[in-house]
Amino acid sequence: MELVKEVLRFLGAGQSAPESLRRETEALLSGLQKRVKPRYVYRLFPLRRENGAVYPQGAPFVLQGESVRLMLEDCDAAFLLLCTLGAAFESAFRAMEARDMAKAAILDACGSALTEAGCDAAERELSARCPGRFLTDRFSPGYGDIPLSLQADICGALDASRRLGVCVTDSMTLNPRKSVTAIVGVANRPQRARVRGCAYCSMKETCALRKSGANCQI
Amino acid sequence: MNFPFWKADEALLLDGAMGTMLQQRGMKAGVQPELLNLSDPEMIASVHRDYLEAGSRVLYANTFGANAHKLRKSGKSVREIISAGIAIAKGAASGYSAAVALDIGPLGELLEPMGTLSFEDAYELFREMAVAGAESGADLVVIETMTDLYEAKAALLAVKENTNLPVFVTMSFDETGRTFTGCTVASMARTLEGLGADAVGLNCSTGPDRMAPLLRELSENTRLPVVAKPNAGLPDPVTGQYDMGPEDFAATLADCLPYAPIVGGCCGTSPDYIRRLRETLAQRKLHANAVLLPPFVCTPVAPCTVDGVRVIGERINPTGKKRFQQALLENDLDYILDVAVKQEDAGADILDVNVGFPGVDEVAMLPRVVKKLQSAVSLPLQLDSSNPDALEAGLRVYNGKAAVNSVNGNQESIERILPVVRKYGAAVVGLTLDKNGIPQMAEQRIAIAERILNAALSYGIPKEDVWIDCLTLTVSAQQEQAVETLKAVRYVREVLGLQTVLGVSNISFGLPNRGLIARTFLTQAMQCGLTLPIINPNQQEMMDAVTAYRVLSGEDAQCRAYIARFADAAPITQAVATPGTSATIQDAIIKGLQSEAAKLARAALHDNAQLPQDNPELYIVERELIPALDRVGEAYEQGKAFLPQLLSAAQAAQAVFEVLRESLAERGGASVQKGEIILATVQGDIHDIGKNIVKTVLENYGYRVLDLGRDVPPETIVNATIERNIRLVGLSALMTTTLPAMEETVRQLKRLPSPPVIIVGGAVVTPEYAAHMGADYYAKDAKASAEIARKVLE
Repeated sequence: MELVKEVLRFLGAGQSAPESLRRETEALLSGLQKRVKPRYVYRLFPLRRENGAVYPQGAPFVLQGESVRLMLEDCDAAFLLLCTLGAAFESAFRAMEARDMAKAAILDACGSALTEAGCDAAERELSARCPGRFLTDRFSPGYGDIPLSLQADICGALDASRRLGVCVTDSMTLNPRKSVTAIVGVANRPQRARVRGCAYCSMKETCALRKSGANCQI
Repeated sequence: MNFPFWKADEALLLDGAMGTMLQQRGMKAGVQPELLNLSDPEMIASVHRDYLEAGSRVLYANTFGANAHKLRKSGKSVREIISAGIAIAKGAASGYSAAVALDIGPLGELLEPMGTLSFEDAYELFREMAVAGAESGADLVVIETMTDLYEAKAALLAVKENTNLPVFVTMSFDETGRTFTGCTVASMARTLEGLGADAVGLNCSTGPDRMAPLLRELSENTRLPVVAKPNAGLPDPVTGQYDMGPEDFAATLADCLPYAPIVGGCCGTSPDYIRRLRETLAQRKLHANAVLLPPFVCTPVAPCTVDGVRVIGERINPTGKKRFQQALLENDLDYILDVAVKQEDAGADILDVNVGFPGVDEVAMLPRVVKKLQSAVSLPLQLDSSNPDALEAGLRVYNGKAAVNSVNGNQESIERILPVVRKYGAAVVGLTLDKNGIPQMAEQRIAIAERILNAALSYGIPKEDVWIDCLTLTVSAQQEQAVETLKAVRYVREVLGLQTVLGVSNISFGLPNRGLIARTFLTQAMQCGLTLPIINPNQQEMMDAVTAYRVLSGEDAQCRAYIARFADAAPITQAVATPGTSATIQDAIIKGLQSEAAKLARAALHDNAQLPQDNPELYIVERELIPALDRVGEAYEQGKAFLPQLLSAAQAAQAVFEVLRESLAERGGASVQKGEIILATVQGDIHDIGKNIVKTVLENYGYRVLDLGRDVPPETIVNATIERNIRLVGLSALMTTTLPAMEETVRQLKRLPSPPVIIVGGAVVTPEYAAHMGADYYAKDAKASAEIARKVLE
């Protein structure tokens, strides 16, 4: 029931959630899980370095900036990953919005938690594909100084529109909304955790939880 | 189909992948392949030649992504890319018996309601491609790799309305039998056949092995030839290599030939696959695809086969409903959606949609309502109007296969309605009346039914799409007519073999205990062969009768639906609500008990000795509703209640408001309204949950919210502000990339002679940034928005 906790945290309720809200969340989450499964695609790209920039070989873009340099310091390859709940979640959400906004707010948080869970599952699969090697933390456009525009590049490299039905808008938003692009580096020695915590988060200036003095405990 | 180089009893061999071949020839990743039509035409021609040598009889020109949206950053026009692409393919094909297809793929942007691209804009993008392809001499058009039936429809209409070319449409399904957007095979087949495709099929997504069962399903749902263009198996997630070789591919796909005679390859295939396919095809014989299609309507996600009783919900209709009329006049589409949602949840199978009312422009309103309903309701719709222009406007934007209510025996009605029905592939309800009115005898109504059927057939409308309404008359006025209606229903169902529709409720006007008469008549009619009763599905006893009938007719196998309805009749509980009874409206709102709150409000109005006589509604708002919302708001502020509870209370307040609005509409009084507020999610931003939460809360404080939606250009917001003389505008943005659009909107609004007060909010907005961009207020949440609204507007 880790997922339920996560959803309650997204809703700002956490441990102090009343029982009725917890029950409602459990019901909505399990209903959602029956109808919507996270799907993901990924590809492994060998990395080439030139003048301090990192190039995934065979992809037409460069991974720029300090965060990438640091994250992929020890890596000779990286997975590009896309995970989405797809249109199925959006339809379920719109249908709920028309019926019950309170439930829709919970459902939206369930969708976020489920997308994260899909990324975690993908990460476990990546790990299994690289026996004897070590993966970095998963990190996404928007993290550190990695531009959001990289979302479009990752989607292009993964043929996201054809393979998962995910499009990138001109403002670099993924659509369907509950979608995540990510990079996971592959190295020959253990990688330390770097991504977790507010200090590394791109939302640190604007995060509602931080504004209220709490944090998301990720 | 007028199609060169092909006889319908032969297999037709298409080509294989283009992208895969271009990559092998050294095309750099990230290059838009269509640009090679200009920069390296020889590379494209060589791929075509290899496929022709391998045996392809149809070449897909290199135009898949040549739409203005995808080309917008290239500096090239659709026309130059497409005419070059067609010319290259035609050049390669000369000397071979092969046709050249204009290839149309998805636009690369999601259509409404998922995305923000409108159906009309999508049509325009496809029209440009279709015209360029036809002018460049394409022999046919293929629309392929579609995952959204709505987008496929826009493309198909664009081709049909702007060219005379044959057109194939293929979509991508995963092995669960759905596209990414949830479209079913049956919905796709019936919708596209109705719209006039010449062949339908599947491409991409899976290999021929996983595609085979879907191809069979498709062939059972269409009279058209079926196209199969699968991938070379599945790609390895690490390397991207496909796992099925030419031999397996050809052998597996050849087994599908009896139901899919038009074949080729998609991602990962090459001329070797096509060559092998040609050798295998030579040994196979084809059979004609003679299917009997059942009566059917659908949305992409909800196919509805009429193979038993299907309930048509009657509530979306202004006749005799003051509150509904008011909603129509005030453009309150949320109310109409709510009426639809309740019927879907009550178990309706199809919803009748009638928005005709004096003062309402039906031609503009019907398509708007269709779009609104389809954004949140999955059921198929029956568009109810006698205005052919309104019907056409509604059918055009409808996603799926709709029904039309209605045509009648008048020649004028037949000539005006049936061409529209035919063009959009709808089913149609034929009323058994004509210029002489409603015949008294069953035989005469049957004669009109036959006349309508024959007319429909002559327009090319298939028999299964003709539904007949033998007309219910009020039994208290014309008692002998009930029997005549039933007699006609029986004949039309049993002898003519058509589906039958009846508006059941009419039967009981003017009698006490109307429900009993209506339910008894419904049961009698179903026994006589009524398959499509138009009823109020919110009346439990009517739905009970249908549920029971389905058991007795054998339709409800093992009585499953019946048992589910009655064995498990637990009371429905509210979202996040604390159960228990509430003595006051305030209590009910705070606990989020919607129906309880509404009941108490109704009781208070009914027994209103305690209330001021001139405006009891306003009294309830001020003494019960607002204080309750304030108390929940305070608890929310203090971290003692959470967002879902705040919203639950807001919705219970909404239920009370609805009671008050009904009461006011009945008295003809003015609405309870404390001012109008514009809300919008700024241009470029598609995340609108925050805005919608604010809307829910503001509405329940009594404000009228003009919701402009998401991805809204500054100009639209400015114009709406001027037009309605708005004093308060709320803007929301979630992405850092859309903050500039928010800033621009604020700038334009503040330039107005009398600028509105502006609240901004959303995940990435801070109080500092709000001040910097010139907004008057920053609202950290919905509660804060309500306080600001109170300060500004009261």
